[in-house]
Amino acid sequence: MKYRITAATAVLAAGALSLTACSSGDGGDGGSSGAPADGDYTGETLTVMHYEGEESAMGKAWNLAIEIFEEETGATVDLQTTAFEDLNASAQQLFDSSDAPDVSEYNKGNGTAGQLAATGVILPLDEAYETYGWADKLSAGIDTIAKYDENGVMGSGSWYGVPNYGEFVFLYFNQDMFDEYGIEVPTDAAGIEAAMQAFVDEGVTPLTTSAQEYPMGQLWYQLALSQADRSWVDAYQLYTEEVDWTGPEVSYASGTLEDWVGKGYISKDASGMTAEDAGLAFINGDAPMFYSGSWWYGRMLEDVTDFEFGIANWPDTTLTPGSGGNIWVVPVESKQPELAEVFIDITMRPEVQALLGESGGLPVAADTADITDPDAQKLIELFNEVNERDGLSFYPDWPTPTFYGDLNSVMQGIVNGDVTADEANTQLMDYYESYVADLR
Amino acid sequence: MTAVAQAPAPAPSEGGKDRRNKARPRTPAEWVMLVLAVLGALAIVFPMLLLLLNAFKSPQDYANSGPLELPQALSFEGIKTFWETQNFPRALWNSIFISTMVSIIAVVISVLNSFAIGIGRVRGRTWIVLVFLMANLVPQEMLFDPLFQLYDDMGLLSNPWSVILTFVVIQSAFGTYLLSSLLGTFPKEILEAASVDGATRWRTLRSVIVPIVRPTLSVLMVFFFIWTWNEFLLPLAFLNTSDSLTVPLLLEQLNGERQTDTTTLIAGTLISIIPTIIFFLIFQRTLTRGITAGAVK
Repeated sequence: MKYRITAATAVLAAGALSLTACSSGDGGDGGSSGAPADGDYTGETLTVMHYEGEESAMGKAWNLAIEIFEEETGATVDLQTTAFEDLNASAQQLFDSSDAPDVSEYNKGNGTAGQLAATGVILPLDEAYETYGWADKLSAGIDTIAKYDENGVMGSGSWYGVPNYGEFVFLYFNQDMFDEYGIEVPTDAAGIEAAMQAFVDEGVTPLTTSAQEYPMGQLWYQLALSQADRSWVDAYQLYTEEVDWTGPEVSYASGTLEDWVGKGYISKDASGMTAEDAGLAFINGDAPMFYSGSWWYGRMLEDVTDFEFGIANWPDTTLTPGSGGNIWVVPVESKQPELAEVFIDITMRPEVQALLGESGGLPVAADTADITDPDAQKLIELFNEVNERDGLSFYPDWPTPTFYGDLNSVMQGIVNGDVTADEANTQLMDYYESYVADLR
Repeated sequence: MTAVAQAPAPAPSEGGKDRRNKARPRTPAEWVMLVLAVLGALAIVFPMLLLLLNAFKSPQDYANSGPLELPQALSFEGIKTFWETQNFPRALWNSIFISTMVSIIAVVISVLNSFAIGIGRVRGRTWIVLVFLMANLVPQEMLFDPLFQLYDDMGLLSNPWSVILTFVVIQSAFGTYLLSSLLGTFPKEILEAASVDGATRWRTLRSVIVPIVRPTLSVLMVFFFIWTWNEFLLPLAFLNTSDSLTVPLLLEQLNGERQTDTTTLIAGTLISIIPTIIFFLIFQRTLTRGITAGAVK
């Protein structure tokens, strides 16, 4: 992961090296036509930054991309891996400093990449999109998170990033537990409640979730989405019109959760559990159902050893939480914007994308025929099903920079019984409107 | 890292045991104290036990068992992954270099400042001390952006000196505040005796004052070292390349966006507290002596 050998000599030398390497990058990037992949960049260095684990699907695919890149351009890659939280805290400064990487992975969404785009800390990639034809490879729903307008709101404006992978949220279930109690895996909304009631009757808490972190907020959003159409999502995420916080979507979501907590479908412990705790309760075999994202899939394949687990999309819904994954961005202080684009293009190649899919990720530009692993196929099938109904609806915490914490605190209120569903909706409306009202 | 601040706590009980008259049987009060001390020690050792228990589990084992259960089989996977993916020796060196430089330079500056304020009694010293105290109260979040810009312009980003400079200032502000009040009560007679003997100011500081307050200075130095070692936010901002990371930053690298490879994180934490433990074994005495050790009555 670290590739430190190249840079290990001295911290200062690394800084100096990338400074001297800036000669060709400055000035007219993108002016050259056609893919300049055969250009000779021998002796140049491209600093790539990301925060995916070496063993993750992205980590593996990007290592391959680096290999291809070094071979074809003659340039060397200085890979800097960081942590998600680190970069989240420092990107605003880092990308505008002499320490800026030449190309970096960054968190998609209004509050993150959108903010960087609005403040001019990352470069627009419109010309590169034209040169390399990336737009044709990205399906609608995936590409929303790559475009940001002058206010940093996603969905329109210039291209600022390139997603390599997708992600979405679905139901993990413990097949052995369903078999043990003779309960059918639910295929419609009523079935879910029936199955959960059956488990409660057997003394098992059916659904593990976390109100302290994202899982319960995403469940709330899925419940709202099951009653919503695309225009509601646009209103909620893109501020096209006012969200009706007393409407059927939100009322159903909060009301259902309140109901489920009351009936014991969701444990009271959820308010103090982290996502990791919730996931472990599923992996341990304590809870038969876990609603969470594709990012758990590889972990489940590896760590679930005592039972068979299955995956299914949430029943009776056309909309599903999910989006393009994190995006490649080019910081404004990149010394090699041209090489950065060459690198990004390589990450979109079929062979890199196929490896990403083969390793448990959700490639955006892969030929599905290339992927042979049955577990990978199962996941991609589910994802394709969501894409076919144009279902990707992003995540509940995206509308405002603080909504993640706001939503979690309201979810904790519901689990603890401190607020009723109606009170929860009013609280959510206040949090949401305090930021969004000015943007509409 | 909380263990760091707690670790010296059991020491007084040991010291007390030495002084106890061995012939006399323990009184009930002593038994109560002993039990409390043992409980306290257990509470302190407990997190380390958790680390030891879980560092040697494989990820599957960890996921399928409680944190208090013994590992099913001894697995070095976490330690191996940590060692292979993270350049720990480099981070350890960075941490030691930064903390040592900060503690030495900050103590020297604190002594010089407090000599002027405490012994020299410069005009407006109360206000000066107050300003130093305020410098210590500034939230680090406020320093984040301006200092980042400054070091960017100076080309010091991802250079250990950016952190050293920052913390020399922050720590010596506290050191100046503390030493100034200490030297303010320094006995006049000793200073007068020195000047009668014809000592210059420099000579007085070097040969009279510093030897007398040396215990305090060594305590200060150890504290500066530990505080700097544990710093997180500003080093996070200034140190961006993988080669420049300190130990706490390195551990942070193991936290994923949505999931954490817990066994690797635990193994890394276990490895990273080893130097801290060694440090405590060496400086235990200095620490328990307390910060006013050098006060002259």
